[in-house]
Amino acid sequence: MLSDREVISTLEMLRHEHLDVRTVTLGISLFDCASDDIGRFTANVREKICRIASDLVGVCDQVAVRYGIPIVNKRIAVSPIAVAACSMNTGRMVDAAVTLDNAAREVGVDFIGGFTALVEKGFTSGDRALIEAIPEALASTERVCSSVNVASTRAGINMDAVYLMGKTIKRAAELTSDRDGVGCAKLCVFANIPEDIPFMAGAYLGVGEPDPVVNVGVSGPGVVKMALDRARAANPGLDLGELSEIIKHTSFKVTRVGELIGREVARLLGVTFGVVDLSLAPTPNVGDSVGEIFQSLGLSHIGVPGSTAALAMINDAVKKGGAFASSYVGGLSGAFIPVSEDLNIAESARKGFLTIEKLEAMTSVCSVGLDMVALAGDTSAETLAAIIADEMAIGVINRKTTAARLIPVPGKKAGEKAFFGGLLGEASIISARGENGSSNFIRLGGRIPAPVQSMTN
Amino acid sequence: MKKVIVSVIGHDRPGIIAVVSDELFISGCNIEDVSQTLLQTEFAGMFIASIPDSIETGELIRRLDERLGPMGLSSLVREMDPAGVWEAPATEPFVITTLGPDRLGLVAGITELLARFGVNIASLKAVFRGGDNPRSNIMIYEVDIPSALDQNQFREALYERGRELDLEISLQHRDIFEAIHRI
Repeated sequence: MLSDREVISTLEMLRHEHLDVRTVTLGISLFDCASDDIGRFTANVREKICRIASDLVGVCDQVAVRYGIPIVNKRIAVSPIAVAACSMNTGRMVDAAVTLDNAAREVGVDFIGGFTALVEKGFTSGDRALIEAIPEALASTERVCSSVNVASTRAGINMDAVYLMGKTIKRAAELTSDRDGVGCAKLCVFANIPEDIPFMAGAYLGVGEPDPVVNVGVSGPGVVKMALDRARAANPGLDLGELSEIIKHTSFKVTRVGELIGREVARLLGVTFGVVDLSLAPTPNVGDSVGEIFQSLGLSHIGVPGSTAALAMINDAVKKGGAFASSYVGGLSGAFIPVSEDLNIAESARKGFLTIEKLEAMTSVCSVGLDMVALAGDTSAETLAAIIADEMAIGVINRKTTAARLIPVPGKKAGEKAFFGGLLGEASIISARGENGSSNFIRLGGRIPAPVQSMTN
Repeated sequence: MKKVIVSVIGHDRPGIIAVVSDELFISGCNIEDVSQTLLQTEFAGMFIASIPDSIETGELIRRLDERLGPMGLSSLVREMDPAGVWEAPATEPFVITTLGPDRLGLVAGITELLARFGVNIASLKAVFRGGDNPRSNIMIYEVDIPSALDQNQFREALYERGRELDLEISLQHRDIFEAIHRI
């Protein structure tokens, strides 16, 4: 028999604390679709995605009802298109993106990731064609997400790729200038990209992954915040060690939900279960915010001094609880601090407590990085590249994933607001100081060598 | 050797189980299963015991009455008949919760529907949460739903009944509670 507390606390988490599974992402390899004929390639891609993913949404809805746990997003991650379509030119790459978009629409998923290139050490012709195609691909599709890995602890930082991505982001913003540069919201630049991320915009299916595979992204910032609030109300004398224990317990519960749901979806689809990604992923809803957790820990706003320490503690406790709850943890697994997708974080940025420098510092102790950071439209490609380079350096040296999802909002200045809509939310544009101070450095190009940390064998 | 089921109810106090089990022991009965619960001030206990052929069930009833009567407790003893036992079909465990203002007929309304669909109740508890808040009455039903049942149809009927009774209803597979709370 279940105890009253077990039943009631579960109901509370569902009714008032936004407990949900944030995403079930179906990984589909496209390597067996390869062809040097674009017509054949796109036909193969469409056929495979529609065949494998046709039941994804229906099965997820069925499992959500059975367990009473909402599955907010159903998504698809495919093999890096720069590899699967390596013989295509730029125009053909855009065709491939449109094919992915149509297939995603056909099976009813809101995002499909994998318009991806892995160029940490250098480019193939397919990589160059894909990166060149990114702006138009993102402008002419709705659901396609793109990611480019430009650095790794093993390879160092491909500064030519970093500069190229600065230019690519500028171009992607220009091509979607009527929608505040929303193309850039679907484009992530990575260091040490994991092969099994279920979250967008970074999701793709790595070369060593099974096909097909279900990866699950859990969420739960609202559950963590409420658990902290309840504990502090009951005992105001709790110290940070004790509060970290509460986060750990909560993360355990949230992860178990993700694992149960993921395994059930995988079983019903007849595919392999991959990993649970333990990230605290916010949405633009009150009560579903990572920023609010900082306030529950006594900070007035995310971004004030103390925020990096608080984030380090939150992130670590989430991992410890999650690691006990699931043996198959992967993806990003940490707290996200996306500026536009979290109301509280967006507000803190608007009030000036959260600057790009503080965000960068915080990303050294959490997953992801400069996520959904809106910048002035006149930010140069060189400055964007320099911001990316800094973020990549944090990842490379600390042997962790970092990413930059930067949006130079066309025609808007720091202090103004950008509106992306839906899950992508809205963001105050923050200023990047030192414009033009980085150009000469960025233009040097080449590859920053792998750090000594890479020599672990 | 036959089996009997003994049930005992009355005001709770120390010593009820001691008296019943002592009498069963003296009578040569072996307790095979036992369960007790408390509701407000009242005790209810059930014992399944094997009883030697040398003692009549009527005699056991008389002995228990003799000991329990003066304590203000009532007992009922029945011989267990293996014939006619309900054979449960293959089922899946679910948990139904109802939340809403207390009023007459809530349990009757829900359980009538469960009975109609052949859903068996494994555990039912009233949890009056929120103290004086009349809207916060919660009932927790642990139920076994026949695997062959059209679950969507059952779910719809249950939600509809909830609307009629002004209750918020949830119906979730039991595994989710286990996953969240138990290692």
